[in-house]
Amino acid sequence: MAAATLCGNLLPKPGWLPLIQSVRHGSKAVTRHRKPLHILKQKLLAVTQYVPPPRGPPPGAYPSQRQALKESEFVLLLKKDLIKVFQDYKMIAVVQNSSSSAEDMMILKHRLHKHGISVKFFPNQVMRSFLSDSVYSNMTPLLIGPTVLFVSKEPKVKEMLSTLRASPQMTLLGACIDNTLLSTQGIVNYSKLPSVSVMQGELVSGLTMMTSRTASMLQHHPAHLSALLQQYIKQQSPDDATRAAPEGETT
Amino acid sequence: MISLVKATVGGLTGICGARGHQRGFLHSHLKIITAGMKTLEIPPDYSDVFLPPKPKLKFLNKVPNLKKAMKERKKLRDIQGPAKTANAFTTGQYAIVAMGGGYLHWGHLEMIRLTINRKMDSKTTFARWRINAPYKPITCKGLGQRMGGGKGAIDHYVTPVRYGRLIIEVGGKVELREIEHVLIEVAKKLPFPSKVMSRESLAALQKTQADMEQNNQNPWTFKQIAQGNMLGIRRVLSPFDLHNHGRFTGKFHLPGRV
Repeated sequence: MAAATLCGNLLPKPGWLPLIQSVRHGSKAVTRHRKPLHILKQKLLAVTQYVPPPRGPPPGAYPSQRQALKESEFVLLLKKDLIKVFQDYKMIAVVQNSSSSAEDMMILKHRLHKHGISVKFFPNQVMRSFLSDSVYSNMTPLLIGPTVLFVSKEPKVKEMLSTLRASPQMTLLGACIDNTLLSTQGIVNYSKLPSVSVMQGELVSGLTMMTSRTASMLQHHPAHLSALLQQYIKQQSPDDATRAAPEGETT
Repeated sequence: MISLVKATVGGLTGICGARGHQRGFLHSHLKIITAGMKTLEIPPDYSDVFLPPKPKLKFLNKVPNLKKAMKERKKLRDIQGPAKTANAFTTGQYAIVAMGGGYLHWGHLEMIRLTINRKMDSKTTFARWRINAPYKPITCKGLGQRMGGGKGAIDHYVTPVRYGRLIIEVGGKVELREIEHVLIEVAKKLPFPSKVMSRESLAALQKTQADMEQNNQNPWTFKQIAQGNMLGIRRVLSPFDLHNHGRFTGKFHLPGRV
């Protein structure tokens, strides 16, 4: 604005006035304090403030899709072992051990090892995630609490049951024998079944019963056979007589 | 009694010795396996870190070695605006970054040097200056002098520092958490606001600024209005504002401006 008084500006020529004169020199551009801004500059800064984009929903607003958690390598290793276990071993029994000491465990393992049953420990989380992917998904409800796996190549159920009866802490929950899931009752029934060879023998004998009977009869003395045949005829003829009499009465 | 124990132990060992694999079986089953799912952090790999032979901060002179010391104008614009040089990492991992403009004199530099040299482990860490020794002469008139009579004599020298300049760079076989407290101590004593940053955090800062510029919902920007001289606003803006788009005023940096 036009100045009323002149400041101490140098006048290059006498009588020469600069066209624009500032009254107040004030401070320089760079000051130690925050210089008060011109009102127009303040307005400009206010108008051109940063406006952030509209925020999305807060993190817990909508139910999130369950992302597949990246499993650590240890878990993958355990799963590989589990695959092998399910492939190699025919009988896999799930037993719950509530507070058995290391000594009891050792004795139990020793007894089971004599029958060829080995004891495996796997964390329940790993087992559950493995079973949910595999065919044996119905075994998942068995894996509650501190569980242990008894695995063996031959399904030696009777020996296992006798060993478990000895230790009171172990509770048999269920088993998967020959890809069939069995409950405790089922395992007990399975143990009571006769062996395969016995069953096969019974089946064969049942099928060949008639032929073996005839063979044995023919091998005996023929008098026995003839006596049997005469008896049969006598039985047949009274049957004919009784049948003819009622027919005659009716007609 | 002892013979009984010996007999049982002998019996057990006999059982163990009968089948070779069973020995290991019993030994390994003495305790129940309860391996957990804990995943531990892998410690950082420092195999490719080079430690220089002189890891400590070198001594910086109070006065530059000039034949003839010339008096200089104030030139406060060496404080204004963002730093164009020494605003990125070179050898180190962590640095003190200036968040404002200012002058560092020899007292500050000595404080920095002594603190860091004392508190740093020279076997595993090294530190480097990212600023020059004081070179700008500051004159002082002396007490009780009246105005006039020429410019004063050179009193001391300073180093100008702009916003975004790295002061100290620290590196070596350390993590930020180990060296942070030392650097924060130094950063608090500097005449301008400063921060301790790592390479990642500096990159993140630059990224946030770029993102803000990208996703600003305000249709009006300082840059657009100043460059177009809308409403004759150049009357109250300086060419400095034009360059720096309203993010700086004097030596101060205005955070949150885009």
